[in-house]
Amino acid sequence: MLGRVVSARCASAICYTSQALEVAAPPLTPLIERLVDALGADAVLWEPEDLAVYSFDAFSEDCLPAVAVLPRNARDVSAIVRIARDCGQPIVARGAGTGLCGGAVPVAGGVVVSFARMNRMLELDVPNRRAKAQPGVVNLELSKTAQPFELFFGPDPSSQKTSTLGGNVATNAGGPHALSYGSMINHVLGLEFVDDAGEVVRVSQDDAGYDLTAALVGSEGTLGIVTAIDLRLLRVPRALRVFIAAFGDVETASAAVSAIIASGTVPTALEIMDRTIVRAIESHYHAGFPLDVGAVLLVEIAGEPEDMVAGEAEIETIVRGHGALSWRSAADAAEREALWASRKGAAGALGRIAPNYYIQDATVPRTRLPQAVQRVEEIAKAHRLQVGNVFHAGDGNLHPLLLFDRRERRQVEAVVSAGTEILTACIALGGTISGEHGIGYEKRETLPYVFSANDLAAMGRVRDVFDVRRSFNPDKIFPSSASCAEVLPSRTA
Amino acid sequence: MSVAGPRRKRVPASDEERARAQLAIGDITPRSVYAPESPEALAELLRACDRDGRAVVFFGGGTLQGVGHAPSRYDVAISLANVAQVIAYEFSDLTIAVEAGLRARDFDATLAAKGQFVPLDAPLPERSTVGGILASGWLGPRRAAYGRPRDFIIGASLVLADGTIAKAGGMVVKNSTGYDLSRLYVGSLGTLGALVRANFKTLPLPQARRVALARLPDGTFRRAVAHVAALETEPTVALAIAGFLDEIEGRDGSEGRLFAMFEGTPATVERATRELRSALGAAGVPETTILDEAGTRVYQQILDAYVSRLGNRTATYRSVGLPSDVVARAEALARLARVHELEVETILDLRCGDVIARVSDKIATQFAARVVEFDDALANVLSNVRILTAPEALRNRLAMWGSSTVALAKMRELKAHFDPRNTLAPGRFVGKI
Repeated sequence: MLGRVVSARCASAICYTSQALEVAAPPLTPLIERLVDALGADAVLWEPEDLAVYSFDAFSEDCLPAVAVLPRNARDVSAIVRIARDCGQPIVARGAGTGLCGGAVPVAGGVVVSFARMNRMLELDVPNRRAKAQPGVVNLELSKTAQPFELFFGPDPSSQKTSTLGGNVATNAGGPHALSYGSMINHVLGLEFVDDAGEVVRVSQDDAGYDLTAALVGSEGTLGIVTAIDLRLLRVPRALRVFIAAFGDVETASAAVSAIIASGTVPTALEIMDRTIVRAIESHYHAGFPLDVGAVLLVEIAGEPEDMVAGEAEIETIVRGHGALSWRSAADAAEREALWASRKGAAGALGRIAPNYYIQDATVPRTRLPQAVQRVEEIAKAHRLQVGNVFHAGDGNLHPLLLFDRRERRQVEAVVSAGTEILTACIALGGTISGEHGIGYEKRETLPYVFSANDLAAMGRVRDVFDVRRSFNPDKIFPSSASCAEVLPSRTA
Repeated sequence: MSVAGPRRKRVPASDEERARAQLAIGDITPRSVYAPESPEALAELLRACDRDGRAVVFFGGGTLQGVGHAPSRYDVAISLANVAQVIAYEFSDLTIAVEAGLRARDFDATLAAKGQFVPLDAPLPERSTVGGILASGWLGPRRAAYGRPRDFIIGASLVLADGTIAKAGGMVVKNSTGYDLSRLYVGSLGTLGALVRANFKTLPLPQARRVALARLPDGTFRRAVAHVAALETEPTVALAIAGFLDEIEGRDGSEGRLFAMFEGTPATVERATRELRSALGAAGVPETTILDEAGTRVYQQILDAYVSRLGNRTATYRSVGLPSDVVARAEALARLARVHELEVETILDLRCGDVIARVSDKIATQFAARVVEFDDALANVLSNVRILTAPEALRNRLAMWGSSTVALAKMRELKAHFDPRNTLAPGRFVGKI
């Protein structure tokens, strides 16, 4: 995020921002005054320099909010919603700001609600394998808290050291282990949220009636503001192995993954990294990935101790039969952890080879992986862009990283076009435009490529139930006929 | 009474009366019965019903129509029996798309032919349909190990009350693209529209399955339950059964039975069985019988027992809660039943935390009076309870959905937005939605 200049490109934010900059000591707006009254001055930020950190996430857009607030509990959130509603201001909930699609960017200005102070574990119920957490709890913290009891939390997005459970709920986050454990939707047992009237509502998947929990997970902050989350924990597997297979190229590795899935074996993780990515992470982490190969496949199996030998043999046979150049097992837990840490740090390591990257997120049916990877390569080539591939192959979830330099206008334009072409190609292969990052601001205009007007209207009915005024995270997910800002992929690596 | 409509499947006149009678809910018999042969025909039919103010109830196999109140209005029964194709089975992707009317047994067989499954745990699978299982929010015992039917849904086609066809989700196993409405339709009992096509992710069938059944002599029940809950290698299913002697084989008049099912590799299943035997031995249970082929049959008998009805003198409750208090809830329920002079049989799901309790009386008229009082008192004992099946005449006198009213206002709004004319199963759902 170095050298980021906060701009007010978004129409509705311009007016407030320019006012704030012009007047030396602006009188507090009624919005800010009321928030200070309700939450205390230390919970409310309104100076532009304080607001800058709430203006962006890991996507390229930045827009200053009118105010940022840091609630301590659901009652505070409820007050914020009521005040914002009275003042006609939109509300954007924010976790750690690691979202890749602009979901936390206040593109329409208004109030950003940061969960930095609502970061407590509320309950750990070991016998029933459940936890209750505030939305600001960092994903990895949950597993760390549960670990002494031989429990862990399934979803493990690469951002898990930073990203929060609230943000994970919003995007229906996944991660490498979604292959066997599923995404957030499969782990959220219930939610407490504040609705558009400021009421605190508690829902559970065990309630009689409509599954409102399922409706809220993945809704990207557009249906309510989550204030507590009930989560399912899993038992730490008694045996775990990690393997590395090397391949001549990504297509061959992808074909091997398709073959593993088709054989009816589902490992806990199947991750592919291409040469570009492997080189970047090896120079950064020295984890021991083979360097001079076209692609590396990371395989994890877990289960009962007596199943490990047969499990390895089965996958090794398939992988070798599909052109693997080598196959080896991680020696011990330390090496396994090192391999995983470097895999999850892949995007960060790219700073060594290009000033900027643009990460795409698309999913295809798993048998279509080789074609999808090939199309990505063709598209990148046609636009004269370098591409790195690091992805959740077992789920068919691609993450091509387009490398570029934002100072080069041609490259920026090429990245935008290539990104859209990749999504279109994945749709043509029977896939979709987000596997785990969400739609946010970035892909809202692409959503109609996947869903018809009727499909979107049905989703709109749900939105109407929860937020008819469109005050929760406006201008996200749903397409607009007139976009408020030019979208430039310009993430700094 | 005419049975007519767009692309109708004509029911022979002689069978018409019988067909309608079978589709009665509560004391209402529908005036017409349709069985459209495509989602488009269903959409056209719904549009007409919605326009004309005719109230509609969807039917699959009818095995779970015991769920919910009787409808407040009910003019048209729409069977989905003719919308029952396997649309696409991408077995190499471990995904399948099927239509709602597909029988659970055919669904299972299609998947098993390729060594796969989706853990729906359907009762009466030769009759029940995929759509009915989803619409009724059916939950089986294997969900603790594998997840709920909702967790396997990756997409759907929905026919809304006004005849709009909308799709949700897709045919990929990981998806964060917009709201996934397919999950919202699971458990909505046909009150928001028809889930006419469902896309699932599938799982490879476990290599081995083993079932153990043990008689629990008097005084061993609680200890056996505690020992099984603490097993190192967890059973896929662990149920403690008291009663249901006619439905579930292995009867011998003893106080209870323990049913455990292990799924996994042969080696794991082998070890798990040994662990179970020694745990039960330590609890004072003399003998544990291993069933292989018969185990699957017994498991199905148990699932069927969840919804079985003995004339008009039984009602079956499901109490939902934490596994750690499953015994306490079962005992509270049983105590209350005895206060009201009802007989009670229970299935305790030790992994999921469900208590299935069937209360009964030998005389139907006496039963009606007693169960109504029991049901009334139950609200003070357990909140998250629902009824799986009860005599038709009692549907509107019992708390079919329990006493919980969580987020009811939001649910009413949801109904109003998806079915503004209240065409779909009016009155059937929570809060008489």
